[in-house]
Amino acid sequence: MAFTSWSFVALAAGTVLLYYWTPGRWQWLLLLAASVVFYAAGGWGSLCWLAGVIAVTWLAGLALGRLNEARRALPKGDKAALAAVKRKKKAAAAAAALLCFGLLYAMKYWDFTVDLLPASLGGRLPRWDFVMPLGLSFFTFQAVGYVIDVYRDKYAPQKNPARYALFVSFFPQMVQGPIGRYDALAPQLLAARKLDWKDLQFGIQLALWGYLKKMVIADRAAVLVDAVITENTPYGGAVIAFAMVFYCIQLYCDFSGGIDITRGVARMLGIELAVNFRRPLFATSLTDYWRRWHITLGQWMRDYLFYPLSLSKPFARLGKWARKRIGGLPGKIFATSLATFVVYLVIGIWHGANFRYIAFGLWNGTVITASLLLERRFLAWRTALRIDQASVPWRVFMTARTSLLVFLGRYLTRAPRLLTALSLLWTTVSAPRLGQLADGTLLTLGLTAGDLWVVALGALAVTVLEFFQERGVQVRESLSRRSGPLQWLALAAMLAVLAALGIFRAGYISSEFIYGQF
Amino acid sequence: MREQVIAILTELCPGVDFERETALIDDGLVDSLDIVSIVTELMDAFDVEINVEDLLPENFNSVDAIVGLIERAQG
Repeated sequence: MAFTSWSFVALAAGTVLLYYWTPGRWQWLLLLAASVVFYAAGGWGSLCWLAGVIAVTWLAGLALGRLNEARRALPKGDKAALAAVKRKKKAAAAAAALLCFGLLYAMKYWDFTVDLLPASLGGRLPRWDFVMPLGLSFFTFQAVGYVIDVYRDKYAPQKNPARYALFVSFFPQMVQGPIGRYDALAPQLLAARKLDWKDLQFGIQLALWGYLKKMVIADRAAVLVDAVITENTPYGGAVIAFAMVFYCIQLYCDFSGGIDITRGVARMLGIELAVNFRRPLFATSLTDYWRRWHITLGQWMRDYLFYPLSLSKPFARLGKWARKRIGGLPGKIFATSLATFVVYLVIGIWHGANFRYIAFGLWNGTVITASLLLERRFLAWRTALRIDQASVPWRVFMTARTSLLVFLGRYLTRAPRLLTALSLLWTTVSAPRLGQLADGTLLTLGLTAGDLWVVALGALAVTVLEFFQERGVQVRESLSRRSGPLQWLALAAMLAVLAALGIFRAGYISSEFIYGQF
Repeated sequence: MREQVIAILTELCPGVDFERETALIDDGLVDSLDIVSIVTELMDAFDVEINVEDLLPENFNSVDAIVGLIERAQG
């Protein structure tokens, strides 16, 4: 069930209406029922996989909860019993993680692995013929995060399987996250609520803003991107770069627009989901960019991969070796930098089974690791050149530099193959054919001049709004302090733009969300 | 111990006023990369074991919190 379908709008609106009519203690069951309807619309097979992940992680949580209690009941000083409990905990958590990630691997990467093997071996192995369930990467990460948290005794496990099922399957976040944490999300999902008009108003505004970004900007930009970024594209480097700029606009408006719809629908129900974007356009370094882009995935990787990896015994040994052999600050941060590299490589691979995603991970990992190792040198240069870090020109320079690094990396995620991405990059540099930007070529790529203006002005509107948000302006709060008619006018204006330029446009074909396929 | 902790922090994260700051994590003055470097150094310098479960913002928001974490790890 696509967010951009009438059936989703009907499901979301119906759920919100019924939610506030339902007695408080049954409200969570209504959310669970709506989630089952949403997910079952994608096929019963997908629902089975979701139920499997829920069952495995719920049982693991229960087992870990019991072991945590057993550990607390142990007499002080009983090291042998403590070691035995720890072993059992590790086994339970590892079994659940292996089962869930094993399923994810089979669904996303098995066929890719078979293709990599020599034909004599790969040909004998079976192929995985199941369709990947919607949002598998997202709900698997969310469920495994719960298991690790219970393993770490961060909170007690959920004993009621239906209540736990709602935490993993809450329908607005099933397509592309955000990846929620149990201690922040579950109490909200399970609470009894009364209608708060502000929640409803802010939720509708946020969801509408998301639909505008997705259906007016992203889906329109996609037409030009799809026409240019192909194998053996006939266009020069300037048109390719123009299309890649459109792709960056499309990707941001598509993903953040989808997340706005998700958070907006949840807010209508009084539920505050985790923030997934913090104006990545204004990032001043690639590290800063990844702290602002897909925040919940970054936090997941930090807490459940980066920290354990960095503090693991092999990395501790590596750190000691680096301090002795390399010495100085680079020696001290060598192991951490390597763990950082691994994390970005994994983030790249998380996007899918393709060499271009591995290259994307390597690109980000290499730039960020190099900047970590060279940070002190840059600092010395900046001091020598007497550059004020807080000055506007410096911030603009750093933001432009970061945008360029992100832009180059995006060639890898958009091109159909790694070789095509490299060829497109090469053409951008070696054969720009700047004349194609002015000779009417841009108007042969599926969009009219009006469409190009809509994308450009839409991107400008998003940038200006986020500029004010970056400066601390709370847009919806500010609007809510204005007069009633003005608030209605803002809502009507958003609906009018959506109706005129989005959903009812002749020949409109709604594309899937890009991150839905990850 | 406090002075030694401040010396380690200042070497790894120069330009931060560790004497006064009480929201190192919440204000973004120290990030996850810094935390791991700091923890590795602290484990080495004080011969203690700090686990992943201890990597919580409240344990790293100030020098005093970090000293408290080390003292707990020392038992």
